[in-house]
Amino acid sequence: MHYYWEGPYGVLLWQDATYDLATGLGLSWDEFVGTGADDGFVQKWIARIWWLYLACTLLTITVRKTSWVQMSGLVLGSGLLTLLSYASYVAAQRQLPMFIEHGGQMLIPLILVMALALGVRHRVTVTTAVIALIMTFAGHGCYAIGFWPTPGNFYAMTTLILGADYSTAQMLLRTAGVLDFLVCIGICIPYLRRASALYASVWGFLTAVARPVAGMSWGLNYWGADQFLHETALRAPHFAIPLFLFFLWRKPGEKKVSPRSAEGDR
Amino acid sequence: MNRQRYTRAGLCCLALLLAVTPALAQQNNQRRPRRAVLEIPEVERSEVICFALYTVHDNTLKLTAQLYPLQSGESRTVGLEIETDGNWVEVARTNVIEPGWTAPFRVENWDDTRAANYRVVHGTAAKYEGVIRKNPVDKDEIVVAGFTGNSIQPAHGGDISRQDLIDNVRKVDADVLFFSGDQVYDHNKHLAAWLKFGRDFGDIIKDRPTLCLPDDHDVGQPNLWGESGKISTLSGNADGGYRQPGIYVQEVERAQTSHFPDPVDPGKIGQGIGVYFTNLNWGNIDFAILEDRKFKTGPAGRVPKQGPRPDHIRNPEYDPASVDVDGAVLLGQRQLDFLDSWAQDWRDASMKVALSQTIFCGGAHIHGSANGRLHADMDSNGWPQTGRNRALKALRKAFAFHYAGDQHLATIFHHGIDEHRDAIWSFCVPSIANLYLRWWEPLEPGQNREPSSPEYTGDHLDGFANKVTNYAAANPEKMPAGNVLNTRSAGFGIVRLNTQTRQITMECWPRNVDVTDPSAKQYPGWPRTISQFDNYNPPSWGKLGELTFDVDSPVVQLVDRDSDEILYTVRIAGKTFVPAAPKDKTFLIKAGKDAPETIVVKDAKVGGAAQSVSLK
Repeated sequence: MHYYWEGPYGVLLWQDATYDLATGLGLSWDEFVGTGADDGFVQKWIARIWWLYLACTLLTITVRKTSWVQMSGLVLGSGLLTLLSYASYVAAQRQLPMFIEHGGQMLIPLILVMALALGVRHRVTVTTAVIALIMTFAGHGCYAIGFWPTPGNFYAMTTLILGADYSTAQMLLRTAGVLDFLVCIGICIPYLRRASALYASVWGFLTAVARPVAGMSWGLNYWGADQFLHETALRAPHFAIPLFLFFLWRKPGEKKVSPRSAEGDR
Repeated sequence: MNRQRYTRAGLCCLALLLAVTPALAQQNNQRRPRRAVLEIPEVERSEVICFALYTVHDNTLKLTAQLYPLQSGESRTVGLEIETDGNWVEVARTNVIEPGWTAPFRVENWDDTRAANYRVVHGTAAKYEGVIRKNPVDKDEIVVAGFTGNSIQPAHGGDISRQDLIDNVRKVDADVLFFSGDQVYDHNKHLAAWLKFGRDFGDIIKDRPTLCLPDDHDVGQPNLWGESGKISTLSGNADGGYRQPGIYVQEVERAQTSHFPDPVDPGKIGQGIGVYFTNLNWGNIDFAILEDRKFKTGPAGRVPKQGPRPDHIRNPEYDPASVDVDGAVLLGQRQLDFLDSWAQDWRDASMKVALSQTIFCGGAHIHGSANGRLHADMDSNGWPQTGRNRALKALRKAFAFHYAGDQHLATIFHHGIDEHRDAIWSFCVPSIANLYLRWWEPLEPGQNREPSSPEYTGDHLDGFANKVTNYAAANPEKMPAGNVLNTRSAGFGIVRLNTQTRQITMECWPRNVDVTDPSAKQYPGWPRTISQFDNYNPPSWGKLGELTFDVDSPVVQLVDRDSDEILYTVRIAGKTFVPAAPKDKTFLIKAGKDAPETIVVKDAKVGGAAQSVSLK
């Protein structure tokens, strides 16, 4: 996505404080922002960020239980995604749910590292995955239920995909918002957690694919795939994390695995 | 042992991620400038009418009162009263429309030859008074104050009082107020922001016809390609359509445009969204109210990717023709049909002005900050080029002057289609408080510049290879600081339309000046005065023989004899007129007192003899 489209980092970088920092590092105004005829530091480096994400992708593929270098890189990758989420939060006029709902994206590299380093059943790994799920669904729930203004594209996707009118779409979104919060609660209750994870997987998948389903069209260049498909990839943690938990808990009643025994998994 | 260390390290990283980012955010929260708090205030029940907007056209008064939310149990009925011989007489009564709390009135057979005091009444306590002006047909000069971009955020100077604007509008006694768009920047709370707009500007709006065109931010999105009411899902909305539900857009348009003259072609578009394109005839000026976003196609997925956003072109080597794709629309056919008939209708009109959200070219090179050179921006009306040329061809047939905003950068352009300067002039006004900076800064000096004018003026090609000639640009400072309004080139425009001399004077004022103070300075490049007839006077044309009429200021129309195409229609000034026309062609000239009903010359050619024409 960052190779093809520009990331939303400008909102963080085009600030007086950032320029002050750059000045402190010896950059002139023209070097920082460009002369107008060419790009400055900011534009050049925003355009290069995709290299870091490509590197993290390679680390994700190559990381193994003892690959501490890759693991360290992925922890930094988690920081990158946190920065990206923070930029989205600032761009959304600092609406708290905007940051919270990115919990899945921010934490998924860490979950991978923890799963490898500590074991998939280690309580830290599982707890982090649960936190990521709760952040994602609580953030979405805040918007869907209307605690913060429901984004227009929530209505847009509901209307386009289901053909619902405004009042029906609103009712569906409010219902989905309530269910989002129920999932956040249910995932913490042993008796309900597996059902909650299953629902979260299905709902997370549906909402992740909703953008291309609503937006792609035969009449567009590449059917609109370059505009919408990455939106699903970006939201893969919304269903991947609950799916991980669902399979992790696939044997109800299984003896709780202690951290020490989880180490044995490694 | 190692394992434990790594475990601790991993946990520390997790804790840092979860704790430090919000903590830093809170720290920044304390450091950053405070944000505007946008809420609907509690008001006394006697103050429940916030403001009122009106127009009078063709002897019909339309007035929309904007109320604060009413409480349960309160009447939902509002009355409109006119003062007659010292008594208040109710002339209309209407129900409040609850999504948006508007009360639209319509009074037909309105006598526009006299001014009238009015008041809007709700219950027994709430009254809101203003003046319906008489139609200023006896004035030589009609003054139109123009505004755009009403940020309320402190970072843009949006928290600074608008009193300077109120005072200056009163000092020039503007006949019409024109807000070209982005009256509201909040994407979710239009009502709260609109009520604030009313509190800020209501004192001048209540006493004169006012036109507010809702633009992208007003309807809750960063950019708008309305695409006939399609639903947009793409971030940035370059896929075309509306991001907010149709019901939200309808509420916005009801608040901002329900007092406009009736739409000339009122069929709804997608999602039940209405249209408001129409004309307002006031003071012998015929204003075409365009809504240039409503039918415009979104570029995402339709044009080859040329930059970091679907609507931005950053590749200077790209082929401009490659983005002028089949099927891309700027003005809809319904709007073009309206312009075609509007251009030929000169009843009660001496001059024509087109009002729209933005100008018909890419009017800026640097976007966002003192960087971000964009070769072209498809949010501008420079794209699609074919649609842009169609719009300009329709407007120049009426010698229409174009008054717009949106760009956050005040400019004067003379537009060209087949050659430089063969179409209309446009004036883009500066923002009230400038949310987003732009600069007009071409890399090459303009051709055919006026003596001692800046290099950025003159003949250029914009990023879509459209021909444009710049005469002025109020570029902001590269590092805005200090005076947060004027270093960001905030301000407003005044256009003076003289129906006798047919001159059009454009003024561009910074904020917090007294426009009547002789020492007050406008932005460099202003004021500029042009003739109405400069709006269609291609350099390559010649002159037909002079026509002398026996009636004052008749309507003249030039028709290509071979193609029957109407080149233009205009009400001339006085009894003589020298029509401009292409060389090597033959023309019919039609004329009449109020409509070109009579063929007065059958074979006019450039360089032809002078003729006398009787229309009595």
